Amino acid sequence: MIAAQPFQAYDDNPCRPRHFKPPPCAPVVPDGPARKALEACRARLFFTGILFACVFGIVALRVVEVVLLEGGTAQSHMPRFRIPSPPAPARADIVDRNGRLLATTLDSPSVYANPKQILDPVDATRKLVKAFPNLKSLEVYAKLTSGKSFVYLKRHLTPHEQYEVNQLGIPGVQFQHEERRIYPDGTLTAHVIGYTGIDNSGFAGIERGLDSTLKDRREPLQLSLDLRLQYILREELQRVIDDFTAKGAAGLIMDVNTGEILSMVSLPDFDPNHPGAADPDHPDLSIADRMFNRNTLGVYELGSIFKIFTVAMALDAGTSTLASTYDASHDLHIGRFTIGDYHGKHRVLNVPEILMYSSNIGAAKMAMAAGGQRQREFLSRIGLLRAPKIEVSEAAAPHFPAKWREVNVMTIAFGHGISVTPLSFASAAAALVNGGVLRQATLVKQSPDDGPRGQQVISPKTSEQMRKLMRLVVEHGTGTQAAAPGYVVGGKTGTAEKISGRHYAEKKLLSSFVGVFPINDPKYLILTVVDEPHPNKQSHGYATAGWTVAPATSRIVQRMAPLVGVQPVDESSPEIQRALMVDTLQGKRIEAY
Amino acid sequence: MIRLGTLFWLVLVSATGFAMFGVKYQVQALEDELARTNRATAAEEHELRVLDAEWAYLTRPATLEAMNRQFLSLGPIATKQLHATAADIPLRPPPPPAEPPPAELPAIVAAAEPAPAASAAPSAPEGVPVQAPEPAAPQTAAEPPATQSALRAMPALLEKPAAAPQLAKAVPVKTVTKPSPPASPPRRAKSLDDLIAQIMTSR
Repeated sequence: MIAAQPFQAYDDNPCRPRHFKPPPCAPVVPDGPARKALEACRARLFFTGILFACVFGIVALRVVEVVLLEGGTAQSHMPRFRIPSPPAPARADIVDRNGRLLATTLDSPSVYANPKQILDPVDATRKLVKAFPNLKSLEVYAKLTSGKSFVYLKRHLTPHEQYEVNQLGIPGVQFQHEERRIYPDGTLTAHVIGYTGIDNSGFAGIERGLDSTLKDRREPLQLSLDLRLQYILREELQRVIDDFTAKGAAGLIMDVNTGEILSMVSLPDFDPNHPGAADPDHPDLSIADRMFNRNTLGVYELGSIFKIFTVAMALDAGTSTLASTYDASHDLHIGRFTIGDYHGKHRVLNVPEILMYSSNIGAAKMAMAAGGQRQREFLSRIGLLRAPKIEVSEAAAPHFPAKWREVNVMTIAFGHGISVTPLSFASAAAALVNGGVLRQATLVKQSPDDGPRGQQVISPKTSEQMRKLMRLVVEHGTGTQAAAPGYVVGGKTGTAEKISGRHYAEKKLLSSFVGVFPINDPKYLILTVVDEPHPNKQSHGYATAGWTVAPATSRIVQRMAPLVGVQPVDESSPEIQRALMVDTLQGKRIEAY
Repeated sequence: MIRLGTLFWLVLVSATGFAMFGVKYQVQALEDELARTNRATAAEEHELRVLDAEWAYLTRPATLEAMNRQFLSLGPIATKQLHATAADIPLRPPPPPAEPPPAELPAIVAAAEPAPAASAAPSAPEGVPVQAPEPAAPQTAAEPPATQSALRAMPALLEKPAAAPQLAKAVPVKTVTKPSPPASPPRRAKSLDDLIAQIMTSR
């Protein structure tokens, strides 16, 4: 019965559950204009939907890119309230080998005013003049009432001054960001570091030589310089200048095994913080004179210290041995020149004696025996015939004869007729004692893993002989005053007469000393040159190297050795005596110089 | 009538919206903090640079030397001061004996009367050397008279070195057996060199 009932009849059932919905009725499809409008609506909805889907798709892709692919490095494009922080300094600091600050860049803001914003010029002037006593109130008042919108009040404030201006709290007074290079040690490192101009570009020294490096890098540049040694060297050179009323002096300390320059001083000097300022101590000296770096830019006829190269050349080429003898009893005459000895022994001398007593005749004869070709080739090999390569921008080329005649061979043998920079000389001398390896001098600290640079220029055996000979000079020869007990100094003195016009002037000397210690295991080379020393009472009327720079070298060695960790030894101990014994002098009585 | 699904989406949308704005403001706050911190770091760095420069300026070798001359008057290290290596320096001598030889002890203990430890100090004779308070070991508290008599004995030992051959034999330490020098205090060294010369001669 029930099954026979029609379907529609359900709805009429009053007992049907309330949630039971009747089956949906067929959609009402309107006809005519209404149907058209509905279809248009649908189409619009559809396209809008697609548009939204596209946009959301793009957003989703972007989110995936930002979050997953760029790893969170995406930058916000919304800089909110971001006050620009002061830019990082435009130039790297310079520090010494122990990390001591030598040059730095500091913010040094300039204070300016916008007079249009100044409410009370009288009050502002009073406050500003109180803060900067060297400002003149009339000028400041004139500036503040000028009606312009920008007037500088003071350039390059110190941090303290900036703080004071901030404390004044004058509306309309503001700061402009500027930077300034500061050299805390002033004159002490002047020639090495140089200085910068107003726009912070390097004008001299390392600042100029490594200008682009300093501009690019952020971390400090570490030099090979040791400020403590720099101070010692400068003080001792200044003492020589004062004691002997000299015109100037130059000196450098070099690590013979790496070529690093630990100290380089040229006197007179200047203050890189105020490069143009006159020196109250030397009002008569020009700025150019004081900025002249004698170590790298000065070329000098260094005189007798050049004999070490003559001897090394002859020994290395085998044209002389330590036992060779040369007759130094008579002056040599060649053309219009006469070559004589300063303190002649007037007898036959062997090679160690030639160096010990600094015999010009002997050295000239040794060079003649070796020949000019060989001499020139040797000097070129040890880098004395080219300008030194160094990080500072100032480097002068040597002067030497274009035609290497016989007379040149003889004079060059004892250091006349060739002018080189003290720096080139030091590099070459280091090669003679360090086992024969010529290394380029450098002012930048080398790390131990940089590996050995340089090339072998003489044999290790010749180098060993040179060490013994240089020790002999200090023990018995012209350089006895350079001895520093315990530190086994070896060296060579040189006293050259300066050329004055076309002649050598006997009264104008250039005294120099090259010292190496400890000579049995060379570590440091000290080269000192003093320009035009005058004799004094203590030096018994001498202004030669043995009386001027040799004692200074002794003092430098004694002061620096504890700082660089060189242990004093007993110089009379058998090991050291044996290591430095010259066989050909064995058993001979050594004549005092 | 709001359908369930619509309600769900509405809630979801508003929740997402709130969450988004919440995150946005949080990010802004963080960015502000970051900028503040960056600024503070830059300011600190700048300050450090200034202080570094100032330190370098204040510790110039010339300044240090002037200060040295004024306050310390130290000189360069002389070679003779460096001639010894660390290995050459003798070891510190063993400390002097704090108590008299144990052989004496039993007799003193036998004669001892018990007394509080505190009374030992005031009753000690004047001019007792600095070592006096040293034997404040637990053992001392138990036998105060022993300490007392030991203290009395000690100055005697120090004053008359000849009277203590036994001690010298037992512990051959110079510092104890030597006549004590405090009667004539060492001449005050004028300079470091002077001081070193004194030390060298006293060896």
